[in-house]
Amino acid sequence: MKKATCLILLFCCCLMPLRAQSDKKDIPWSTNESTMLGFGGYNIHDSYLSPSANMNYTGWVARVMNERLKMVKLVDYRIARQQIINVEFGSTHNGAETAHEYAGFVDYSLGYLYRFDNVFTEGLRFLTGASARAQAGFIYNTRNSNNPASGKADLDLNISAMAIYGFKIKNYPVTVRYQGEMPFMGVLFSIHRGEPYYFLSQGDSDGIVRFSSFNNKFAVRNYITMDLPLGSFTVRLGYLNSIYRTDVNGIKTHVISNTAMIGLVKEFVSFGGKRLKDTQRYSSAYY
Amino acid sequence: MKKILILVLSCLFLNGCEKGTTYTTSPRENFEALWKILDQNYCFFGYKDIDWNDIYYKYSPLIQDTMSRFELFDVLGDMLAELKDGHTNLYSSFDMARYWNWYEDYPPNYYKDIQDLYLGTDYKIAGGLKYKILSDANSERKIGYAYYGSFTNGISESNLDYMFLHFKECDGLIFDVRNNGGGALTYSERIASRFLSEKTLTGYTQYKNGNGHDDFTEPKAQHLSPSDRIRWLRPTVLLTNRHTYSAGNDFVSVMRILDQVTTLGDKTGGGCGLPFSSELPNGWGVRFSACPMYDANKELTEFGIEPDVKVLMDREEILSGKDALIDAAFQLLLKQSDSLNVETKSKISSEMFGY
Repeated sequence: MKKATCLILLFCCCLMPLRAQSDKKDIPWSTNESTMLGFGGYNIHDSYLSPSANMNYTGWVARVMNERLKMVKLVDYRIARQQIINVEFGSTHNGAETAHEYAGFVDYSLGYLYRFDNVFTEGLRFLTGASARAQAGFIYNTRNSNNPASGKADLDLNISAMAIYGFKIKNYPVTVRYQGEMPFMGVLFSIHRGEPYYFLSQGDSDGIVRFSSFNNKFAVRNYITMDLPLGSFTVRLGYLNSIYRTDVNGIKTHVISNTAMIGLVKEFVSFGGKRLKDTQRYSSAYY
Repeated sequence: MKKILILVLSCLFLNGCEKGTTYTTSPRENFEALWKILDQNYCFFGYKDIDWNDIYYKYSPLIQDTMSRFELFDVLGDMLAELKDGHTNLYSSFDMARYWNWYEDYPPNYYKDIQDLYLGTDYKIAGGLKYKILSDANSERKIGYAYYGSFTNGISESNLDYMFLHFKECDGLIFDVRNNGGGALTYSERIASRFLSEKTLTGYTQYKNGNGHDDFTEPKAQHLSPSDRIRWLRPTVLLTNRHTYSAGNDFVSVMRILDQVTTLGDKTGGGCGLPFSSELPNGWGVRFSACPMYDANKELTEFGIEPDVKVLMDREEILSGKDALIDAAFQLLLKQSDSLNVETKSKISSEMFGY
């Protein structure tokens, strides 16, 4: 728990010098929000669920992802804040199709990225920074007795980089984006190899929260999207490649997914409280 | 530069091409996989003095590439039977290999038809419990009788409250766990906590932390606290037989510590290893004892627990519809109740029901 608090404080400290430099007028920057649905392939392995068997389970995964990206007033509006909520559920089976594993994960990430405009060429933006992610999930095996499920919980600090390129194909505007995100340190929950969860309920909880870094965890998310305006909507097509691999407390896990994504994008200005009263540019149906 | 770019992209994207054990029906590969799973994870090699390498050399020559899946299953099942462990099984779509000699080789000392004569048709059912007040025809004294046939059947705190309230005029309680093959340890604790008067050391647990046969964590003491609801502190007899196994055996190992509890019947079946599951490359499942659970004396009860009072059914009693264990328990409880003075009885009742 102490490690988790330290990591959060460290993340906040990284941002504090940036906040001190901000003195620009409060411009109502819009928020870019997308809600995407995805479907793709899942590849799961957890040695707690199949001890000494090194068995991969494969199947499908469905996910819902909401992303919000907005420029904030840090460093004269050079910093973008990105929030992502991802919920995924997958169903897999072993090679012989005699057993099934279901997995579900929920994660929330908050990132701050410095934006460079018109890098190399007109329309190309590059954003880089850090993010914090909290994730919780499970893998459940339908066949097992006292090791039926493996619980997961992670709190990470990530390095994050994004490239956005807007261009036109015969006057048709297209925006493509690539984002890569990789945790470099954090804490995670892991039961010990061979330990039943029943023992945890009896208070045997030593060493179940571990510091994680590249020595025991490798995870990466590669996210590619393309925005296509269609009538009064903007459709976002995407591909998400997610790799999560840990080797902690004698348990090796990987959860790998490749997901095709589709959703809608909206650009909106958020008002609230005083800001709503101060502006005359928009009329509310409610206030 | 191009090579570095390809390497980076491979790391980022192609990491998804995971290598694992692939599906195969090869008898040799499945034999090796099963042997290895047990070798690295089974917890009683030392306690049972089994040389697993010897077992390998005994069964390895029997594995032929041309053997059918049924022949392979039989050989692998025989190999697992060497462990003499009721928690160790091999599962296929057509059969389950098992070792059940721990009760099949012994008289049952439990017949449902005879038990039904005692329960009649007006017994009560609360969760997984069947219960009824048994009366002595001569003295009209009452003894509660409760049968709990499986720890897989749920039992709530309310179920227990109503059962104990029903027995509040009884001098004693027969709690019958014959043929209880186990289930959830949480139910074992829930029931046992109703018989405690103070926090009690109930046993020790440990688990494997390495591949070696003796790689275990330090045993960790387990304590159980008394329930804050209705508790039963009057004389109690716990009926056991060879088919009282796993969580049933764990329940007996806790209950026998208590002063007011007497175990009666036959030795339990044992099964003190908490089982884990894994699988073979051909999709067969395997279950095995993975975590040893010790009793309060740090002893393993894998091969069963002897009762305080050994009572077995004989042929004549069976033919005449008599359950010798229930009858003996009834008489024992009357005696034990008689041995308590009025003051003690009053004190116990006050602790149990608050009057």
